[in-house]
Amino acid sequence: MLLSDLLDLSVRDHDGTHVGYVIDARFVLDGAPGPTLAGARLHGLLVSPRTHTSMLGYERTGVRAPAPIGAFLGWLHRGTFLVRWPDVARVDDQHLVLRDGYVRVDPGLPSG
Amino acid sequence: MNALEPDEPAAGKVLDARLHLLDRQVLDPDDVPVATLADLDLEVAEDGTVTIGAMLFGGVFLARLAGGRPPRSLMHKVPWRDVVEVDQTIHLSVGADGLDATWVERWVRDHVIGRIPGAGHAPE
Amino acid sequence: MKRLLGVALGILTAIGGFLDIGDLVTNAVVGSRFGLSLAWVVAVGVVGICVFASMSGRVAAVSGRATFEIIRERLGPRAAAANLGASFLINLLTLTAEVGGIALALQLASSVEPRLWIPVAAFAVWLVIWRVRFKIMENVTGLLGLCLIAFAVAVFLLGPDWSELAAQVMGQGLPEESTTVYWYYAIALFGAAMTPYEVFFFSSGAVEEGWTVKDLSQSRINVLVGFPLGGLLSVAIAACAAIVLLPQAIQVETLSQVVLPVAIGGGKLLLAFVIVGIVAATFGAALETALSSGYTIAQFFGWSWGKFRKPRAAARFHLTMIICLVVAVGVLMTGVDPVLVTEYSVVFSAVALPLTYLPILIVANDPQYMGEHVNSRVMNAVGSLYLGIILIAALAAIPLMVITGAGA
Repeated sequence: MLLSDLLDLSVRDHDGTHVGYVIDARFVLDGAPGPTLAGARLHGLLVSPRTHTSMLGYERTGVRAPAPIGAFLGWLHRGTFLVRWPDVARVDDQHLVLRDGYVRVDPGLPSG
Repeated sequence: MNALEPDEPAAGKVLDARLHLLDRQVLDPDDVPVATLADLDLEVAEDGTVTIGAMLFGGVFLARLAGGRPPRSLMHKVPWRDVVEVDQTIHLSVGADGLDATWVERWVRDHVIGRIPGAGHAPE
Repeated sequence: MKRLLGVALGILTAIGGFLDIGDLVTNAVVGSRFGLSLAWVVAVGVVGICVFASMSGRVAAVSGRATFEIIRERLGPRAAAANLGASFLINLLTLTAEVGGIALALQLASSVEPRLWIPVAAFAVWLVIWRVRFKIMENVTGLLGLCLIAFAVAVFLLGPDWSELAAQVMGQGLPEESTTVYWYYAIALFGAAMTPYEVFFFSSGAVEEGWTVKDLSQSRINVLVGFPLGGLLSVAIAACAAIVLLPQAIQVETLSQVVLPVAIGGGKLLLAFVIVGIVAATFGAALETALSSGYTIAQFFGWSWGKFRKPRAAARFHLTMIICLVVAVGVLMTGVDPVLVTEYSVVFSAVALPLTYLPILIVANDPQYMGEHVNSRVMNAVGSLYLGIILIAALAAIPLMVITGAGA
């Protein structure tokens, strides 16, 4: 599987309701220890309800400057959430389908 | 505005692929540019865990641009275990010269630029 | 002297942006038709390029990343490729014009037909890129380019009616021109002041010179000396034309008309200075655009680049520039007027300008890149304002060009 197979997919919940688009994929370096970096585990996917233009990370960091751009992109991506990978039921060519009872997690990146 | 559940604390560095990895400059141990990261090859384990297997370079870029999938032969891979560090760039533990991803660079060097007098000295 | 050489990068960057062959002629055209009534646009442009060049220089000094690396990283492959296409065409069109411009300037000095000078000029540009260290290249072309100060000297020697010039700045006492043509030239001047290869060259030059956080004040001085000087000289060219050519309703079409006021005001000696300045400025602009075409492509694809490396260690970067120079010579050999070539770059600026300055503004605010050196609030306010102006100018550029027939 390529990462680009996941990005921009349309996301549905278990009964077929459209909930958004995959705008990014979050990895955590907590996998098997490698020579220098730990393995990168797919932790979850970032889903934006409105747009699949990934916009520059404004929705995930504390950065809001410069104000007009920060405000516009924040508005465009309002409602963005993270779904953890185990909450993904299946992926096909057109859609990514979430499990019943999936959890919408705060998409904010840990600061620092 | 959002009453979303906060995520559990991560046990390692957190990287968002588009934000921190894709389209970033990849450098070898001597800081020689290798390529821009075009895509990631993901490995799915039996328990459903997905990890980054390799970074992809080269023809993948054109495919991403057009929204399709490149033929395997046009993809140049570098395994994830060769990554030393990720900051504004991605640092590798292997030299650029040994990688498939830079064969065009080597070809141009050996057949065109290297044959012009003065190519072997830094400008003075 | 050391101080002066320290700002050579800023001066060379600004000369390439404000005083390349297309701008030399455009400024004189503007002066001969609109007097100094468009001087305010140059001032607006100078502030804008200062703001964004200082951001791009700061990003390069702090993070070591040049501007097109940031564009690719922030915009992703599609939008960055659109920018690359537009920016690359601007580079190539301007490079073509400059190589032709060097030949025209040498013709002024030697009376040898420009077509004979074209391959010589292109070869000389390549030789400098191939063999001359970045520092020496910028010092020599930057210093010789300062000879263009002769235009400012000429303004004083011509002994103009200062109150009349002041009235022109306020838009009074000028022949009737249509509003659309006026705004077409306003946007052309603004676009020339903010032309994107300036930040590509400036930020890559900062990497070539190995700037770090310690060089931030140096970067700021480069910006604050270079661009206002470039703007001042372009107003001086317009003023010369406004004093001499406007009253006689002479339409500027050639380089010899651009320098005519200098010859009238300062005689042969000052003319000689100006010609040296024009050769240096067009040569400098040719180097700036040739290198920028290499920088942008190499940074987009992540190739090895830079004059600080041996050419064989940056093979595709050098090959790109060689191909660009060959294309430029080929285009010029068809006999096309180099000055006309640059007029069409306005169209591509409409795409390239917003897609270049947006990512710079965003990354200059990103603590992951900048640490404590993120933009100040004032910088963000001015930067956002200019991004708005750029968007409006970009949207207006193409319709105005079509309506006015490129300012005819």
